[in-house]
Amino acid sequence: MSALAATVALIAAILAVALVRARRRERGLRERLGRAIEELERLERSFARFAPEEIVERVIAAGASPSGERREVTALFADLVASTSLADSLPPTVLVEILNGYFERMSAAITAHHGHLSTLIGDGILALFGALGENPWQSHDACRAALAMRAALEDYNRELRAKGLPSLGLGIGVHRGSGVAGLVGSRDLVQFTVVGTTVSIAARVQQQTRESGVDLLVTKTVAHELDERFVLEPRGPAALRGIREPIELFALVGFAEASATAPDRAVPQGDRAT
Amino acid sequence: MWGGPRSGRAFLENVEWESCLVQPHRDAALERDVRQEFGVVPPALAYLSSVPWVARSLAALQLVPSPHLHEDVCDLVRLVVAEDNSCRYCYAAQRTIMRLHGFSTRRIRELEESRFAARLDPREALALEFARHVSRIDARLADDRARLAAVGWSEEAIAELACVAAANVFANRVATLQALPIASVERAARLPGLGLVAPLARRLLFGARGETAPLERGRCAGPWSFLVEALARVPAGRVLRRVLDDACDSPVLPRRSKLLVFAVVARTVRCGRSEREAIRLLMDEGVEPETIGEALRHLHSSHLDRADAAIVGFARETVRYRPAEIQRSARRLEPLLGQEAILELIGVAALANAVSRLAIVVGEPA
Repeated sequence: MSALAATVALIAAILAVALVRARRRERGLRERLGRAIEELERLERSFARFAPEEIVERVIAAGASPSGERREVTALFADLVASTSLADSLPPTVLVEILNGYFERMSAAITAHHGHLSTLIGDGILALFGALGENPWQSHDACRAALAMRAALEDYNRELRAKGLPSLGLGIGVHRGSGVAGLVGSRDLVQFTVVGTTVSIAARVQQQTRESGVDLLVTKTVAHELDERFVLEPRGPAALRGIREPIELFALVGFAEASATAPDRAVPQGDRAT
Repeated sequence: MWGGPRSGRAFLENVEWESCLVQPHRDAALERDVRQEFGVVPPALAYLSSVPWVARSLAALQLVPSPHLHEDVCDLVRLVVAEDNSCRYCYAAQRTIMRLHGFSTRRIRELEESRFAARLDPREALALEFARHVSRIDARLADDRARLAAVGWSEEAIAELACVAAANVFANRVATLQALPIASVERAARLPGLGLVAPLARRLLFGARGETAPLERGRCAGPWSFLVEALARVPAGRVLRRVLDDACDSPVLPRRSKLLVFAVVARTVRCGRSEREAIRLLMDEGVEPETIGEALRHLHSSHLDRADAAIVGFARETVRYRPAEIQRSARRLEPLLGQEAILELIGVAALANAVSRLAIVVGEPA
């Protein structure tokens, strides 16, 4: 009897040890799985800095597809004024710090207005509106973003001056047209962007800001889409390098909030009048 | 919403969330009516009681019977849509409900870790993908009905899947836009031992109530009748008819303001059919076609007053958002509109989002 009890106790002990080991093993596997998930999320977050989140998710869901899509897009091209002399006169760490602060603020202004930052070219920024999905208000969004970028730069310049650092100047060109949106690049580097003359025209319009002496210029195609809240100043047709026909340009001066133009309505609680 | 990588509770609990916009107020009569009609009183009711149709619709759309679907699939759809919309409130609430429905914490965690793919059969996996597409207005929605039918989902079941997903698009927006308090609901979702009371809870609390007979054609009439007709064969059609009527008839915001919200949301999600319906109804209200055209083209018209001008801008933002940003936008509108009106606006925008998505699934007439 005692031998049987001892055998049962032994079997119970073996089972208990096996159970404890299995639990430990499961806990270990779970921890490894947890770490793998964290790593995956970290990679996704890193990747999201280089491609819009929607694209990251589409690639995860369906794999990278080489096919592009023709879309109506508004391209905003921004560039710093006199950045070369800035680069020559500042220590590299200070320059990089200034530029990072600049990109951070510009990126926030762009995403807050339904745009996405497509490419950084040196200190230049290409932002796209309507590239990820149809956006009926893309020109409106791009112009609001341009004005927000101007305002953000003014704030940033105040900060820089307070630190004894030089102010930055900005030129922005906005154009709307058709382009092919998709993942473009080699096996080593893929980027979601728009290919076509729309982007080149926006870049040329941005260059024109220096000659026109204004910071924000939009083409007639964009101006045509805007309502009366946007304050525009006609600048006449301009011959842009590499573009066959002269393009009519407008300086974007400002935006009058609806509250300044619309009549008040005391909200009629219980009133159904139209 | 769509704010980067996500995988269940751990991700959502890092989503920024503002303090609640609305002060809770218990309305005993409303609670009694809701309990009588639906069997339970949602904890959020006190935050919605100043606009009764929003409170009632939340309960009605969440608890509508889906006789062609297994309850587990409905639960998973609700969880997936809440996650997709980054709705911390609905996600935690749904997690709790699923535990009361008998899902173990291990099973829920397994689903979260696998992005809702673990141990699902291909039919269920496709159903969840469809729900996600409804939530995101994904271009692949156009092919989803055929794909679901090919693996054996009936027309009625597909309609019910779309309705469960759309009902949660509504619920997520009602909860997120006004930033319903999340601390207690997230605590409840973590409570140990909920599974022990699951069998009892399932019997007592969650028996879906309501009429399941098809809605007769004559009773489909009203705003968005094309959609109600398309869904008349499933119980959600009847519920949708009442919710739309209650929303349009509620006296808090002018009808034209509400229809403008529907029109703007429909244009944002590119649902031509829903947009045309909203425009037709706006014209019935006497709004000039030029005003409607201008408002939709520019999200602004000189013929709109300040409140409507602000409302159309806000409506567009309710389609895709990050929770804290849209919560701050709603708060900015409060001084202009007042608390009741902002709550009705949230309800209407939530409904417009659900309706437009359903209209996309239903499609254009052949």
